[in-house]
Amino acid sequence: MARLHRVSIYSSILISIYLLVLFEVLPITLIDVSIAQEILPVIPWWLLVSFGSYSLWSLGWRVFTFRDCPEAYHELLQEINEAKNDLRSRVVTVD
Amino acid sequence: MNPFASTVSLNMQGQYNTPNTHKYSVILPTYNERKNLPIIIWLLAKVFEEHQLAWEVIVVDDASPDGTQEVAIELARVYGEDKILLKPRAGKLGLGTAYIHGLDFCTGDFVIIMDADFSHHPKFIPQFIRLQQAHNLDIVTGTRYRSTSTPYLAEAQPGGVHGWDLKRKLVSRGANFLAATVLNPGVSDLTGSFRLYRLPVLRHIITLTQSKGYVFQMEMMVRARALGYTVGEVPITFVDRIFGESKLGADEVVGYAKGVWQLFKSV
Repeated sequence: MARLHRVSIYSSILISIYLLVLFEVLPITLIDVSIAQEILPVIPWWLLVSFGSYSLWSLGWRVFTFRDCPEAYHELLQEINEAKNDLRSRVVTVD
Repeated sequence: MNPFASTVSLNMQGQYNTPNTHKYSVILPTYNERKNLPIIIWLLAKVFEEHQLAWEVIVVDDASPDGTQEVAIELARVYGEDKILLKPRAGKLGLGTAYIHGLDFCTGDFVIIMDADFSHHPKFIPQFIRLQQAHNLDIVTGTRYRSTSTPYLAEAQPGGVHGWDLKRKLVSRGANFLAATVLNPGVSDLTGSFRLYRLPVLRHIITLTQSKGYVFQMEMMVRARALGYTVGEVPITFVDRIFGESKLGADEVVGYAKGVWQLFKSV
């Protein structure tokens, strides 16, 4: 089963449960109905905003902590020179 | 089969004081790499000799007009015909088919794929090998985004990139974030192409992949995870475009997004 199919099945199940609760077909225990009716319509937007802010934070943090490696660059340049000299002595065309 | 009775093992006994009798094949697809090829092979030879590993390099050249094949022949003379194999192709046919072509000539039991333009440094190969042996992994991939390896490897140094400006870093992280959210691959660097594969694993995955370009490397990793192969990561330093400039256009971005969607649908 491809990932798309798995995700579709799970999300349809969750969405149908959410809609059933929203339209009061399924009862909710332990929470006042009026409070539940205030919270439920907002949940999708809440999820969207949470995902958006998480993504923004995650992206920003990862770009901020993205490591530069100038020492690797310099080391590589030195090795290239060394390699060229060695290969020239073994009669291989470099450049 | 008794691993101590394999050809590689029998040939190596008495020659090296080493516990590692596996042979490592490096597949190098090249196109106009006349300047880079001798140096990358020198670096590879140096690393493999230092660590007393049996090795070979398969150069898959797509009919380069600049004389890459002549340089490869000279290198075969210096390092041995059994070590540097030149397997040319008639034209520029793409990366995936280059690997398939190279795989036909592999005599090793592990395959390393990497770029020939110095962005991938051979000095990380012993770390890949050590991690693979410690945990019997099927695939080890290099990651530019992590500072430690998964699973743990004591000698791993933090990864990084040289030569990228802020915009490029943002694009790279964004693309990776998109792919990670949609595909949940379990590796931090999906588009990286510096990897060590067990030969049968690579053969299996490559017969299943259908995409090209950036997405090809992603697809290999995603399919490997879906098939249950074990993957480890080692941080690498990536020195980009030591000669020349790269451009990342809108077309590539769209192509990438399409590729991610394709993978989401099919794997």
